[in-house]
Amino acid sequence: MTQSAATSEGTAISAVPSLRRRRRSPFRRKLFPYLLVAPAVIYLLMITLYPGVYAIYQSFFFVTFTGWVPAGFENYTNLLRDREFWAALWNTLVIGGISLALECVIAMTLAFYAYRDPFIRGWRIIFLMPMLFMPSAVAFIWKLAFNDGRVVSDLLMQLGLISENIDFLGDVWNARLTLIVADVWQWTPFLFIIFVAGLQAQDKEIEEAARLDGASWPAIFWNISLPLMRPVIAVAVILRGIDITTMFANVFIITQGTPGGATETISYFIYRMGFRTFNFGYASAASALMLIFTIIVAQLLLKRFFRSGRA
Amino acid sequence: MAEIELRNVRKHWGDFVGVDDVNLKIADEEFVVFLGPSGCGKTTTMRMIAGLEDPSGGEVIIDGEVVNDVDARDRDVAMVFQSYALYPNMTIFENIRFPLRMRGVPKAQHVELVKRAAEMVELGDYLDRKPGALSGGQRQRAALARAVVRQPDVFLMDEPLSNLDAKLRSAMRVQIKHLQRRLKITTVYVTHDQVEAMTLADRIVIMNGGAIQQIGTPDEIYSNPANTFIAGFIGSPPMNLIRGRVEGGTFIAPGVKVEGIDAESGRAVTLGVRPEDCHLNSAPAEMTGIVFGIEPTGDQTLVSLRTDDDLFEIRADRDFRAPLDTTAHISFDRDRLYLFDGVSGERLR
Repeated sequence: MTQSAATSEGTAISAVPSLRRRRRSPFRRKLFPYLLVAPAVIYLLMITLYPGVYAIYQSFFFVTFTGWVPAGFENYTNLLRDREFWAALWNTLVIGGISLALECVIAMTLAFYAYRDPFIRGWRIIFLMPMLFMPSAVAFIWKLAFNDGRVVSDLLMQLGLISENIDFLGDVWNARLTLIVADVWQWTPFLFIIFVAGLQAQDKEIEEAARLDGASWPAIFWNISLPLMRPVIAVAVILRGIDITTMFANVFIITQGTPGGATETISYFIYRMGFRTFNFGYASAASALMLIFTIIVAQLLLKRFFRSGRA
Repeated sequence: MAEIELRNVRKHWGDFVGVDDVNLKIADEEFVVFLGPSGCGKTTTMRMIAGLEDPSGGEVIIDGEVVNDVDARDRDVAMVFQSYALYPNMTIFENIRFPLRMRGVPKAQHVELVKRAAEMVELGDYLDRKPGALSGGQRQRAALARAVVRQPDVFLMDEPLSNLDAKLRSAMRVQIKHLQRRLKITTVYVTHDQVEAMTLADRIVIMNGGAIQQIGTPDEIYSNPANTFIAGFIGSPPMNLIRGRVEGGTFIAPGVKVEGIDAESGRAVTLGVRPEDCHLNSAPAEMTGIVFGIEPTGDQTLVSLRTDDDLFEIRADRDFRAPLDTTAHISFDRDRLYLFDGVSGERLR
């Protein structure tokens, strides 16, 4: 059948001798893919690259209401001497670092217990819930619970753990704890889901082999599953880490940087410099510095984890 | 040192029956091969011995003790997986040492035991590499070393050679057999490759559709297949099975006529002839067909013949050649004919 089809087609072609094979110019052939992605690229450039470049440009000026005065690197040198900037950087590291560490440990523990559970789909949906709420709404809930409504203090008193109200926002570490709890509550599910997926993707036969080699589940986890999860953990930590360095909503709503700037993160510092004191050049310089820090740290982490994670 | 016994072992998932009422006794130090097509339940049966799968019914007995409720890690069973299942994050040394660590073997002995196991499989030079840096054959040997390092009671192998190329496969086959004879460990080996089964096994267990079809030594299975399934599964090329009927002591099928068959007239039967029991004849004999294809393999020539509705394979001399569509007359070795029931496929004679 195919043979007869081929013959009839062959005669058809020879009957139209003027049929010309068209060639596209190599230039057009190469250009075509770029044309296809152009709209997306232009859109991305407009909403990310342009503001970014604009901010970096702005960081070399003193921006006042009357005009821009060239400042050279003065915004940067001022920043590096600014104790509030360094304090904000330290706060970000402390609050973000502790949050991230807790999130990782809790998410990994939950994932370890849950990933072999037949009800895992159900667990995933339940654990996903906190992520679905609006961050500002969650922040208000925690503000109520810790401060305005004193729910947490009340509960602790009912349990007999404390005897009088705790002023969560009046103490450096209590205030930081508030932010940490809020972040952990909302973002542990994100890591949990990534970790469960990572564990489920691991080769079942390797687990079975370890089982027959006499390993208990915790031993399998420590010796095999966890080391194999390195690249997954690295990606998750980097994604979450980048996100956490820009922690803003919770600070803005719950603590506003109090007490005494102990909970002022870099994002809040930039916001305060830009929109409270209208020192836009200074705020832009802080953003640019932060961008550089983040890129360096992320690159270091990625390189380290992926090099040694290779089998 | 262990005997394995399966008593009425069954496994089903919902309505799907994976293994149906398997009874089997495996003697100490015996090398038993489970052979069957994919999906026949052989791997599931092995996994139930390992403890990786819970039987739906029946008893798995190792050394006189019912182990249905004993966790896989507490049965002294080692297994080699088809995928090798080496731990990619550990070096080969760490891989082989892992069972020693997990089973609390004193640390002082580890290095020596690992070295000895690695030497047994000729892997000594690769101990500091990771599995990713080894070839398939080396990984296979590492998996073997990991299994033998702690001298288990029972050795389970799940198609361990199927990811290797043909040459390596026959080399590893010899190694595995040698290793098992030397260590004297009861071994269960799962494969769908009948050559592996024939060459390795003390006894072969042929499975199909979740049930055991026949148990026997390779010789018994080859020369006394219990039904058409086994006859068609064992041998390379397998036995020719000719569907036909018996009329007055003569077997008749298109292009085939064999006299002196002892079965009642009118009965539908299947006649079995192995390719090596067929001989080219100059005069018309039991069978006539036309040459469909010639496959010289060097030591012999496989000839495919076409009868009216069937292809038929015979083994001819190494220098036999004939053009396609030549008519060929074939005679059969009369005392090497098999007769099966045409309906049930059970052996009649």
